Amino acid sequence: MPCISRLKKRKIRGYHETKTGKSGCPSHGRETGLKTHKIASRKNPLGGSIEIIKQTFSSIRSKPVKRISFVAGLHGDELEGVYLCHRIIETLRQLKATRPQAFQGEVHVYPAVNPQALSSATRLWPFFSMDMNRKMGEKNGDSLPSGFARSLVEDLQASSDIVVDFHASNLHLKELPQIRIIEEFDKKLIPLAALCNMDVVWVHPSAPVFESTLGYNLNRKKIAALVVETGICLRIHQEFCEQVFQGMIHLLRQTGVLDLADPPPKIKQPLLIHPKQVALIQANHAGLFISNVPLGAHVKKGDLLGKVVDAVRGEVLETIASPADGLLFTLREQPVTYQGAPLARIALQEIP
Amino acid sequence: MKETLLSIPSPFGPAVTLYKNWWEGSKSPDDVLSIVSGLHGDQVNGLYLNSLLTRFLDRVVEGLEADFKLKGRVQIFPVVNIQAAQSGSRVWSFDDLDFDLAFPGNDKGETTERIARAIVTHTSDSTHGVILKTANHLYEDAPHIQLADPDRPTKKMAQNLGLSVVRKLPDSTTFQLSLFGHWRENDIPSLIISAGEPRTLDRSLCDSLFTGLVDLMVHTGVLTTSGNKKQVAKLQIYPANAEHNIISSHAGLFVGEVKVGSCLRQGQKIGEMRSIDTGETLEEYAAPVDGHLITLRNYPVTFEKESIATLLSDKKQGFWPF
Repeated sequence: MPCISRLKKRKIRGYHETKTGKSGCPSHGRETGLKTHKIASRKNPLGGSIEIIKQTFSSIRSKPVKRISFVAGLHGDELEGVYLCHRIIETLRQLKATRPQAFQGEVHVYPAVNPQALSSATRLWPFFSMDMNRKMGEKNGDSLPSGFARSLVEDLQASSDIVVDFHASNLHLKELPQIRIIEEFDKKLIPLAALCNMDVVWVHPSAPVFESTLGYNLNRKKIAALVVETGICLRIHQEFCEQVFQGMIHLLRQTGVLDLADPPPKIKQPLLIHPKQVALIQANHAGLFISNVPLGAHVKKGDLLGKVVDAVRGEVLETIASPADGLLFTLREQPVTYQGAPLARIALQEIP
Repeated sequence: MKETLLSIPSPFGPAVTLYKNWWEGSKSPDDVLSIVSGLHGDQVNGLYLNSLLTRFLDRVVEGLEADFKLKGRVQIFPVVNIQAAQSGSRVWSFDDLDFDLAFPGNDKGETTERIARAIVTHTSDSTHGVILKTANHLYEDAPHIQLADPDRPTKKMAQNLGLSVVRKLPDSTTFQLSLFGHWRENDIPSLIISAGEPRTLDRSLCDSLFTGLVDLMVHTGVLTTSGNKKQVAKLQIYPANAEHNIISSHAGLFVGEVKVGSCLRQGQKIGEMRSIDTGETLEEYAAPVDGHLITLRNYPVTFEKESIATLLSDKKQGFWPF
């Protein structure tokens, strides 16, 4: 990211926009083709400001073929997406410098939309203990997270045809790279999700909990929003990130945003699953879950997935076996387990 | 009677146990009042208030409160977010979930979902519901009632609590996920009482709310009294558009000069923002209209464009004619 304080500043269309200059930051002493926007900014009582930054790679066309936005860091402990944004910005900067004509469309990257939570590596916005991804679509909230959520939705709506919202899993589960789609949006989103080099595309019914999320609100506003889940929070899995990164470049190419002469690399065809094809395995006991198989394994019915143990008494409380053949696409990583805690999800080969 | 509703084994400590206290005047009572507190682990006024009610109802059942007789059923759920209450925090750090966004829950799900489901199951036959809360993190609320779209039974409930200020809750994308939203969807006449601030016990406030809740029990029919019937309160109803939010233009240290619950005149000073670095006054805040100061920031460190106070304007209020 350029050193914003040392960049030339100007006001355009209500945005406080900064543009890289030739005599700008020494570490980026050449034209990067990157425009940095602050889409929300609030002064911090202890100095400086809290800001949401958007990095824009413009199109060579006056009317871009498509406008794609990448969003990361709504939950401040989900770092896989933040790293993915770094990879995307780094790659597009190089491309802009060497092959600017490749940019037929426009790309926006929002690498850290919940900066305070990211700085303290917590899911919630720490000062307010609020979940920013439960504040979307609210008209009345007057808190800082609500205000930032509103600014983010408005800006994405104004500048995107397609949005990719990167998430890692929560504190407990590790996920294979996947896209989750609410049923009512599946016709529009499945073809796009198929371009993204995912292991799984999971179509699931809607529920009230989604109504306050970014993905749902954008899709309701007719902006195609893909919600990516990959890895686990507080960690970066470079293998998963590389897979998703290749998928995002493929998406940019297939939607015409990037026009590259060389043939696109082959990508994975995701397993498209519906709720009946997902077997959720939960703990029957409280204890420590010790897994026996790696995430991504193709398991057979009866295969040992792990066990729940009582660490105090030295007992095995239960052994966990696969209920069917399929792909292990979710696996518990955080061992402390209560009754009912999800331990694994399997994408079934056959619908029961 | 104390009844265990759910006991979830813990990997290392004692089981997570959800319980309710309940009292019944007859075998199949027509009226069932449910009172819930502790949805967030740091809201202690509700816990204390429910302990007062528990002591009172025990005495009623034992015949030690000569003026009162139990007719219906009262059930009190004093601590819902058990693990958060144990750690003195708003949410349980294990899942970082806002408990009041976990309804209607799932009896086969994770701990939070199971507890939420148990609350829903055990309050489903309620004829009246009350949720006890405080202001959100960083703020203090003057005692008031919060309602959605109130029907006549709910209005009657509100009228009997001894509180005059009623806020109509604005629409929210998360309303359905809250216990209150769930009760409303299931046509349970219900309201929220919000009073005080998190992490602080205000005993005098709880004492006055206790009296109101006893009156509410009489009104709902779960309790009868041989004493004089109290006069109902005249309610001041404030829709969402009657709320005036005072927003900071500067970041700094907010120093308030008025007490929450005050009736302010237009132009009256509410407080000021001072620079943490220099101590200079950056901004002064005054009431934009005549109104009731319902919420005031009590945590001084403040970002730019944050809410300092909420004033309910007299001009846009409505009255319910009782």
